[in-house]
Amino acid sequence: MSDIEIVESLKRDLGEKALELTNPDRRRVFLKVAAPELVPTVTLLRDHYDSTHLSTISGVDKGETFELLYHFASLAASITVRTEIPRAEPRIASICAVIPGAVLYEREIQEMFGVTVEGVPDTRRLNLPDDWPDGQYPLRKDWKHVRPAEVIPGGKS
Amino acid sequence: MSFQIPIGPQHPALKEPISLRMTVEGEVITDADIRLGYNHRGLEKLAEERTWIQNLYLTERICGICSHSHTTCYVQAVEKLMEIMPPRRGLYIRYLVSELERVHSHLLWLGVAGHEAGFDSFFMYTWRDREIVMDLLEMISGNRVHYSMNTIGGVRRDLDEGQKAKILEGIVTLRKRSEYYFGIGANEPSFVARIAGVGMLTKQQAIDLCAVGPVARASGVARDVRKEDPYAVYDELDFNICTSDSCDVLGRVVVRVLELLQSYNMIEQMVKGLPDGDIVVKAPRKVKPGEAFSRYEAPRGENVHYVKSNGSDKPERLKVRAPTLGNYPATLVMLRKGFIADIPLIFAAIDPCICCAERAVTLINGRSGEESVVTMSDLRRQALARSKNAPVKGKAVWPF
Repeated sequence: MSDIEIVESLKRDLGEKALELTNPDRRRVFLKVAAPELVPTVTLLRDHYDSTHLSTISGVDKGETFELLYHFASLAASITVRTEIPRAEPRIASICAVIPGAVLYEREIQEMFGVTVEGVPDTRRLNLPDDWPDGQYPLRKDWKHVRPAEVIPGGKS
Repeated sequence: MSFQIPIGPQHPALKEPISLRMTVEGEVITDADIRLGYNHRGLEKLAEERTWIQNLYLTERICGICSHSHTTCYVQAVEKLMEIMPPRRGLYIRYLVSELERVHSHLLWLGVAGHEAGFDSFFMYTWRDREIVMDLLEMISGNRVHYSMNTIGGVRRDLDEGQKAKILEGIVTLRKRSEYYFGIGANEPSFVARIAGVGMLTKQQAIDLCAVGPVARASGVARDVRKEDPYAVYDELDFNICTSDSCDVLGRVVVRVLELLQSYNMIEQMVKGLPDGDIVVKAPRKVKPGEAFSRYEAPRGENVHYVKSNGSDKPERLKVRAPTLGNYPATLVMLRKGFIADIPLIFAAIDPCICCAERAVTLINGRSGEESVVTMSDLRRQALARSKNAPVKGKAVWPF
């Protein structure tokens, strides 16, 4: 399938649900859906567009909202599904039931942006240490790293 | 009765810091768990405070073995955002270094696989040959690890005729030796017996768990970004995707050896067909708002960078997904139902790429199953106390 065929076919299959559908570059398709439509859209991509491979999930802090991008890859094109969730209530459904390999990326989104991924099989932290304080989400734009004061036992000599 | 065995973050069998927690019954692993983050450096956050050019050197330092992979993936995205196209000579040199890097990484990995399987002469031979390609990389770039060849809009160093001749000469030697090792590697019965049937990952599991690179290809999934999404020069080169259907560590060895031979072909094609012209075009300092999603086939599999710009001289967001992270869910499946003795072999077979930093270790008392977290200083105190009672080594003399 060529890029134009994929875009046309997605338009037919999704109709009103596709809020935005762009083809900015060769073999790159960006699709925007509302958050509740995420899991059905991912299922559709997996079953009918051969997009079984999830490359990764990126999160972007856009101020009032968080943007989540699910990058899929197939032989025909790389389709990115984009969805936005409000900062006040950051919740998104897990896609692990459809794509089991998504678990590490969803755990990363949880700890880095403070987004609650509902139904993820493993809710532990991925990269951050166990003693990391709650409510600190490093990849949010308002989070700044403050270097703790250096403590030298016995003082500087 | 089942026990839990912690392996890592510091462990003699694994050279990099990662914590694996195995639940075993006798010798058989019934469950495996993985803990990451011992080398988390907050690079994505740091990248938001650096300019486009500074980030080039930051991404280079994500990994010491596939340093060129990360910068190439990053510049591909940035060049797309800046709407500039590097000259063809620049592109050829860039992807020539990519293939040389793949050769050095695969030779390194073959040695590690031989070492973990107890075939140490194979390890010594492949690492000796790896020096040939390391010398070539040093000749081209001046460095053995961080080549710093890429810049936005092209590459930083040109090739002359003498260097081209030396590369071709090196490839002839490497090909002869690789074919020879392909022979012993595949026909040495004890080596094959050690790695065959270990770390099984079926084709369906590899697809479901989004495995990438040689791990996926050894399970019969023909997934290679160079063919699937032919970026830059790869649609002009003649090469095949190497796969294996054996789904085990043997298959992963076979795939990497076959890929070596493919890479030698590609290097020769690129050196012989090197176009004339400039190697770099001038890049703007600022980038207009936009986003780009870049994929690159690193030696370990698909490398992914997502770059979003906001109109300034710094990125709004840089997301990096290195291939090893994509292979962890598959590794846990490979480890289950295996034996304790196979852990290093299975784990090494994904060619993991992690680095180090950790201050607490978890000790589990095997008899009681009691678990306690001990700080590094306590552990050091215990070690010092024990060494006090150890036989005196004060008479040992430094031999040189």
